[in-house]
Amino acid sequence: MLLGSCAAPPPGDTGTVVPPAGDARGFHFVDVADEAGLTRVIHAGRPGKDHLLDSAGTGAAWLDYDRDGHLDAYLVNGWKLSGSEVVEKGRNALYRNRGDGTFEDVTDSAGVDGAGAWGSGVAVADYDDDGWPDILVTNFGANALYRNRGDGTFEDVAPHAGIEAPGWNTGAGFFDADGDGDLDLYIAAYIEATIEEVLAAEPTLSWKGVDSVAFGPFGLTGAADHFFLSNGDGTFRDVTDQAGMRDRAQGYGFGVRAADFDADGDLDLYVANDSDANYLYRNEGGGSFKETGLWSGAAFDTNGAAQAGMGVAVGDVNRDLVPDLFVTNFSEDFSTLYIGEGNGFFRDASDGTGVGAATFLPLSWGTVFTDLDNDGDEDLVIVNGHVYPQVDEHPEFGMAYAQRDQLLENQGDGHFEDVTDDAGPGFQLLRSSRGLAAGDYDNDGDVDLLITALDEPPALLRNDSSVGSWLTVICDALPGEGGVIGTRIEVETGGHRMTRDVSSGGSFLSVHDPRMHVGLGSADVAEQVKVRWPDGATSVESDVSANRFLAIEKESR
Amino acid sequence: MKKKLVLAICVLALIGSVANAQSNETATPRPIVDTYETLADTILAAKQTEWNLVHTILGTTYSHAEGVLGRATAKLDAGQNASAEIETLAALVAQMGNEGDASVAAVRKRLLEGGHHHNAQGEEQGIYDEGFVIVTRASKKVFLDTATRIGKLGSSATTDALQKEWKRVQGEFRKLHAGTPMGH
Repeated sequence: MLLGSCAAPPPGDTGTVVPPAGDARGFHFVDVADEAGLTRVIHAGRPGKDHLLDSAGTGAAWLDYDRDGHLDAYLVNGWKLSGSEVVEKGRNALYRNRGDGTFEDVTDSAGVDGAGAWGSGVAVADYDDDGWPDILVTNFGANALYRNRGDGTFEDVAPHAGIEAPGWNTGAGFFDADGDGDLDLYIAAYIEATIEEVLAAEPTLSWKGVDSVAFGPFGLTGAADHFFLSNGDGTFRDVTDQAGMRDRAQGYGFGVRAADFDADGDLDLYVANDSDANYLYRNEGGGSFKETGLWSGAAFDTNGAAQAGMGVAVGDVNRDLVPDLFVTNFSEDFSTLYIGEGNGFFRDASDGTGVGAATFLPLSWGTVFTDLDNDGDEDLVIVNGHVYPQVDEHPEFGMAYAQRDQLLENQGDGHFEDVTDDAGPGFQLLRSSRGLAAGDYDNDGDVDLLITALDEPPALLRNDSSVGSWLTVICDALPGEGGVIGTRIEVETGGHRMTRDVSSGGSFLSVHDPRMHVGLGSADVAEQVKVRWPDGATSVESDVSANRFLAIEKESR
Repeated sequence: MKKKLVLAICVLALIGSVANAQSNETATPRPIVDTYETLADTILAAKQTEWNLVHTILGTTYSHAEGVLGRATAKLDAGQNASAEIETLAALVAQMGNEGDASVAAVRKRLLEGGHHHNAQGEEQGIYDEGFVIVTRASKKVFLDTATRIGKLGSSATTDALQKEWKRVQGEFRKLHAGTPMGH
């Protein structure tokens, strides 16, 4: 059923005003986390970051757990250490959006505080297809899968579901790998380590011959990623080898993103590995995959070198309807823009698009392609921060532990300009940022940014930019219809077509707004909105007026 | 094996220290030097063996790729779809650039973890990727780029187009094959 003309969830009740298109004030972001009530400090080991776990950080998610039309926020937390002593086991946080720009901490009543685990990443999906979004938290240790009961409370069903997978788990993604209507799950893992090793760690690696910093990842054994196939009854089984996804290189896995990279109708999977070749698992159908990274152009940079992959963004920066990839990397190496060339092939276009030069010095993590000024193209946000606090003692190298996040504005053709300086006070903050989740939390038609940082509360960068027209498409399916992960839309306006998709996770250990936002520039109408559902069914809506939320519900099978 | 070697060295050290304690001789005891000589031979031989092994990996991958190329061209000449063979060929050419598949990369990483860099000097000079033994960065790029081009040919491949790409592989392989084994 297509609810084409229906108005969807609020935004009417937010009282926000959509600014007119065409104002030349530009980008303007303001950190409103404190006044909004997002105050949970994210712990990250010791001040000296003696072990890699101290400096890896954690993710954040936007989700509408109570289905009231307002995005709620979830934050994953780590531990605070002093030497080998545990000072505090950080608690994860669920913040309910009150709909007035502020949030209420409902962690305790919801039962999602992480139970004292050292958290890492988060993925959100309705894994049991009951209509309510569930939360997967990847941990250093056993993972937690918080099943949403639909009454504001959750229960951890990870042991029953069979996805605990103790280890240092990182990025994760739910997606229907075998086309049976159930969501399957990939969980990346970083290195083999025990909590005893973490607590006993001391900085022993020489950094540029001038200081000692945390050891690794070279010298540490990579941990194997896991792929779990759903049994269709709320439980999963580990089929990593059978599916062709054995982590044979023992890569140091971080970012995970599922998308239909070869446009054949099923979801493929990209895994960013730190210091190793990245993986591109092409879906061969029926739950089997072929790793094509090495020869598809998506594993290395243009020189054939493996980079320190952290976070992943998927978008369409040149508006050719072919998915492009962006992978964040270590400092003194550029982050990589892989332009999609169709059929699952990519080329490194970092050099020549303004991305390479802008990203060479920062150490980058969370990232997203999103249209922040609603001008019809996707801009690029990258959050940054070094892993070694010791770099501050050596200013001669031109690096700092706390760094600014970056906003690269798309010039309309996939070329980018670094506009961080002019993006408002929110982009001038100096922090060691990690997770990034983009979402329109105040339902005003522009995309805001939730960012985690080490040893600090999150930043919530409210988008106060002057923006053009917009359209946000909310795809929904009735319980039992297989959910919406992997749904893709094409929006046509003024001769341009734009595409977006729904994913359960991406960026760095984080989850963006599940609603699909497009900027329409000065257009008042989107001529066509076409939806391709995960099972291949399509819905089409024509002449959709701008500046609204459009809810489209999948027709029952 | 490793335990036995350590034990033998400990015994030698003990004998040496006892012998030295009874004289004014300052030279390192001959048995210890001889053992070190033997160990050096073993270490250098192991490095040579590593070169030979990677050379074999490259050679077998090349031969495999050559066979797949033959099957692909035969199919194309017969007007049949050779997509599967072409993808296999692309994967094998990429593996040549990577000195083996992902499993080999894991072994290479383990060696690096142990501090073993076969071409330490070449790595510093930017000629080799970390842990690579034979394939230079320049050759790696040629193999990877060629693999991608082969993969892109896909179902629209022709025999001529495939052969053109294969010539690049052949040329790069021969260049590496003609390289001097380390230590000779």
